[in-house]
Amino acid sequence: MLCDRCKLRDAKVLYTEIINGAKSEQHLCEECATDYTSFQMEKPLLNSDMTLNSLLSTLLGAYHSNTANKPGEKKPDLVCDKCNTSYDEFLQRGRFGCSGCYKSFNNVLGKTLRGIQGAEAHTGKRPKGFMSQADNILKDLSEEERLSFELQKAIENEEFEEAARLRDIIRHLKKEETNNA
Amino acid sequence: MLKWYEENVPDGDVVISSRVRLARNLEDYKFSPLLDEGEAVKLVDQVKGITSTLAEEDHRKYYSCNIKSLSDIDKAAMVERHIVSPLLVDKEQTTGLILSEDETVSIMINEEDHLRIQAIVGGMNLEKAYEVANHIDDLAYDKLKIAYDEKYGYMTSCPTNVGTGMRASCMVFLPALSAAKLIQKLIEEVGRYGVTIRGIYGEGTKSLGSIYQISNQKTLGNSEREIIQNLNRIVDQVMKQERKRREYMLSLNTDEIEDQVYRAYGILKYARQITPDDAMTLLSQIKFGADSGLIKFDREFNVHKMMMGVQPGSLQWTLGKNVGSTTRDKSRAEYISKELPRLI
Repeated sequence: MLCDRCKLRDAKVLYTEIINGAKSEQHLCEECATDYTSFQMEKPLLNSDMTLNSLLSTLLGAYHSNTANKPGEKKPDLVCDKCNTSYDEFLQRGRFGCSGCYKSFNNVLGKTLRGIQGAEAHTGKRPKGFMSQADNILKDLSEEERLSFELQKAIENEEFEEAARLRDIIRHLKKEETNNA
Repeated sequence: MLKWYEENVPDGDVVISSRVRLARNLEDYKFSPLLDEGEAVKLVDQVKGITSTLAEEDHRKYYSCNIKSLSDIDKAAMVERHIVSPLLVDKEQTTGLILSEDETVSIMINEEDHLRIQAIVGGMNLEKAYEVANHIDDLAYDKLKIAYDEKYGYMTSCPTNVGTGMRASCMVFLPALSAAKLIQKLIEEVGRYGVTIRGIYGEGTKSLGSIYQISNQKTLGNSEREIIQNLNRIVDQVMKQERKRREYMLSLNTDEIEDQVYRAYGILKYARQITPDDAMTLLSQIKFGADSGLIKFDREFNVHKMMMGVQPGSLQWTLGKNVGSTTRDKSRAEYISKELPRLI
């Protein structure tokens, strides 16, 4: 007999549910039974680290197989250029190989992290003296260019008071320039 | 200098200690699980190199060592005192430790991440623990090339630590809630707020003497301050519930509880052999009695310090030698009898 839910594997569990007196019976395979009921098919591993690891890779893997199974979508074949860890290895181990992996897996990582952490980006501490790429570009700009950039940002964020303030400073600078010339 | 567990602390009747741990990695090395032994040695040496900077800038005395150079007893005692994790001492590869004299700050080197910066303070004071750990983190950032990304924050070996890399936790004493079998319910309740409750020595360990750890689960998306505020609110709630339960228990069975506390004292003071589990249970009864004013001693004494002292590693460390479990049970009974103050 095939499983009532997935209709793919052999049913091994007879699952009886009684809700408000209404009884329903389902024949389920082990996989579906683990997913839909409180059945624990495998013995819990004793080593806590092992459980965490396997839990993580299941979590990561489940997401991964969902995306890979969609028709027309290609399984990402990503390899970290710094430590040679592939995305598949990362999923299996539940561990990154090096800090370079974050960059190499950047395109697929957001959703993976959302699954584990409920968020995709860091909002906390920024070390003193840390220079991001944007900082490095800004550093080489002239005062006027930097202000125009900030003006643009303020407009995008709909911070109009700040934008007006910046606009006035830029005007003032331009005026000074022409006066000097 | 007093160690953190030797001081009198805020809310010490429920919260034994507050701890903040920051996971950090260096850009120039693969993450710890992929390192070979040669690289591990180099990493440990390089990180140990910041010890003198810490001593100059943080105004504490600091020591550093390779874990391999320690005796088994030292290792066990350090695990019991929460200075290092079981993983750090069990790893075959070279691992290292930087430790402050007062045991407030420890940096585990080449555990799951290259650095695990940890600060413990007594009582309910996560802000202080974070302040200390954060200062050490700043000092380390100046000396080492720490992997930080604009988007992902601090990059860690395991995706469950990325972002702040921070795990904040409070060690709490919950005799009344656990007597009322309310811990499981509590675990489910706090889980909804992204907080976990586990046994005293972390993941997968059982609780000894009604002591639990409450910590944040997620490390990405919220700032360090938000994580701490959230945890503070939860611990505060747990504290209130525990105190309410204690009052309720006492109002209902004062005589029975008083009897139990004095019996516990009697056994601890006069037993000739005692196992660590029994010692923990009885000491937790004494702590409960002392916190509730049922039992009074002729001098100040810290039950939690004793709870660590009765663990196998710490006990052998005090004895200065490796002994079998029967001898240990005898020595434990002697140690407790000697340390336990008189009643008044």
